[in-house]
Amino acid sequence: MQLGTRIQRTIKVGWASAVIWSSYKVPMWARQLTGRPPRTDAEINALHEVTAKRILALALDMRGVMIKMCQALATRSDVFPPEFIEHLKQCHDAVPPKPFEAVRAMVESELGKPMDALFSEFDETPLASASLAQVHRARLLDGREVAVKVQYPDIEDIIHTDLANMRRVCRIYEFFDPQPLELLPLLTELTTHLRYELDFVREGEFGEKVRALFAQDEQVKIPESYGSISSKRVLIMELVTGIKITDKAQIEAAGLDPHDVVQDLMYVYVRMILAAGFFQADPHPGNLFVTEDGKIVVLDFGLSKELPDGFGLGLFELMFSLMTFNETAMLRAFNELGFRSKTGDNTSFLLIARRMVSRSSSGSFEGEFTEDMTNELFDAIREDPIAEVPSDFVLVARVFALLSGIAHTLGSRANVLAAMSGA
Amino acid sequence: MSTALEPEPGRLIFTNDELLANGDYAEPLIANEVRCHGGFTEDGGYRSPRTLHRTPAIDAWQKQLADDGHELIDIASSLVPPQHPNVPQAKLLLQHGVREPIVRALTIISIVEGFGAMIRDVRVPKLDALFVEDLAGTALAHLRLGLFEAHARDESGYRDEGGHKQMWEAARDEALENPKIPDDVLMRIMGRRQKREKTGPIFPEIDPKLERMLAFMSQVMVVEIFARGTFEWGIDLLSDPEISASPKSAGDMVRFIQQDETPHVEYLRAALSEARARTIRTVDGKEIAGKIVVDEFLHRTLNGMTQNRQQEQREDLRENLIEAMKVASNPKALLEEFDSLDQAWEAPAGTGFTATRSPVAA
Repeated sequence: MQLGTRIQRTIKVGWASAVIWSSYKVPMWARQLTGRPPRTDAEINALHEVTAKRILALALDMRGVMIKMCQALATRSDVFPPEFIEHLKQCHDAVPPKPFEAVRAMVESELGKPMDALFSEFDETPLASASLAQVHRARLLDGREVAVKVQYPDIEDIIHTDLANMRRVCRIYEFFDPQPLELLPLLTELTTHLRYELDFVREGEFGEKVRALFAQDEQVKIPESYGSISSKRVLIMELVTGIKITDKAQIEAAGLDPHDVVQDLMYVYVRMILAAGFFQADPHPGNLFVTEDGKIVVLDFGLSKELPDGFGLGLFELMFSLMTFNETAMLRAFNELGFRSKTGDNTSFLLIARRMVSRSSSGSFEGEFTEDMTNELFDAIREDPIAEVPSDFVLVARVFALLSGIAHTLGSRANVLAAMSGA
Repeated sequence: MSTALEPEPGRLIFTNDELLANGDYAEPLIANEVRCHGGFTEDGGYRSPRTLHRTPAIDAWQKQLADDGHELIDIASSLVPPQHPNVPQAKLLLQHGVREPIVRALTIISIVEGFGAMIRDVRVPKLDALFVEDLAGTALAHLRLGLFEAHARDESGYRDEGGHKQMWEAARDEALENPKIPDDVLMRIMGRRQKREKTGPIFPEIDPKLERMLAFMSQVMVVEIFARGTFEWGIDLLSDPEISASPKSAGDMVRFIQQDETPHVEYLRAALSEARARTIRTVDGKEIAGKIVVDEFLHRTLNGMTQNRQQEQREDLRENLIEAMKVASNPKALLEEFDSLDQAWEAPAGTGFTATRSPVAA
């Protein structure tokens, strides 16, 4: 990347950060100095709204890590207010594709051959475009239909620059603010995730690991990754198509029962998360399909996660204790999962759990993390300064909330315990 | 006059609270530092939870059925396959330090017991409208009035009282001294997803919720009856001083669970026998004998479990037995000895129930 571009990106991030920081702090100080009452909740919420829109606009302008950062922020309802989540989640599907010539150049330089020495067909219009890459339909010389995921040129440099800028901004913010949001750990986590996501070799290997997990399952289809003809920036996979998982009318038209589809989908994720300890952590409807004969298809292993040993059993015990209202077992499970209290008073976790369960439609936990319940859980955590929550739990809860949203779209429920018991 | 504390023999109608009521306990049951349900009477005997009215109620419903000339469903004990590994095999493994398969088996039993809580989620349709005969004063009329809830609480525990899940865990941890739980326990429970057959309802002429409820109850009853073999296995194994660190308390814990399970089997027998003795209204205004429906589900469940259970248990165990045996000094000799202790068992030809719509004949 050219020095001028680098400086330009740094200035944009710095300026936007200064504007956002001042919009929160300057009016607050002004009110303190003039003796006026602090801003109302409604005023604060309106400010969150304006700020979220400003960040979104900046991200769409700068792309790269800014898009990725917004996507990551949009998953952290435990840290950021709902206005941020609502606006920033648009980053999941608001990325325009790169021109085909840039794609061609990347494929040929990465795979070391001209395009027609690799493919008999290559569709110039992408099937999908995201923050780091876009996907094209193609055909190998041996006739196999494939999906080719191509990383954007310069994206690594852009990310490197943006992350360095973000880290500077966070340090300055934490220096000046007496009670800062803990943004640096989030940035460190984002850096790790981005490193994984930019490594298509890792993504392909992770996909193969998940494929092996479901090799004997007749209701699951994980596309094969062709590692031997891929590279770190170009990933070639088996092309699998199907019905979008939220398209209830199409699912029914294929003679499939949407309730069965939800059960199978839950089986896939519960088996990955609770039983195997590794999972594709991005179950948005663009990554999930159902084949005409009812198989669940999971795509895109860029955002994948390995869980610590014992996490699945710990999570199972937490859900079980929530279901039976057993608070002693609940506290033990919170502890085993890595929840920590800064003061040693663990009753906070019980209050948080009670708040979450209170948002269930039946008033009790029956095995499903609905979006409402998960939002309430994250609200409770955000409002409680003494609770430390493991990031793995946040990610898993978000995955189950996304699955619950899909299940409700299909008129069913995403019951984790039922999926485990086979009920 | 009857109160919550005074059971009245022969009474047939109960409230939800009564069917969930405990008797008096002189001492609570503490299992491995976990407060569990149930407790001990003055004379030291174990008293199961929520049985103050539930046990006499079930007796009264079963007696009424007999007085009306109807039989109580009976599952032949010859249909119950032996536990695998059997007690001598399990003992052999533990004596040679091969603990993992037994710890895994005990953990899976505890978790599966806990899943019994899901019986409270069974959707019960308006049964009065679906049966021709009156249901007042029957077990069927009390499924949602405490019977399913009591069953769920017994299995999974309720609030700060542990249930069978925690009691099995305590028995395991006391007998085998807090063993390490194998990482693959949840994976083994989940099994594999077979291709979904598009079968549709077996009795399209009856209310689909009623079909699902009766099918589910038949499955649970058969599982509960077959579990008797598991309890005997657990008692024999965990109360054996040669392999158990706490033979008395671990063995007793499984005995208490076994005692608690009796009302589960008996209320399900009563309710399914009542359905079998009655007539079901079909969705198009005709009638079908309850016996045809209930026997179909019992046959299907028994046929599946007698044909497959033993084989599934063997395959489950065998999958990692060789690997687990590597901790023994002579794995090959151990495997040979293990196999020599096996018991031959063949599933009986029939199930004792007549199926009219099964692909497999009775």
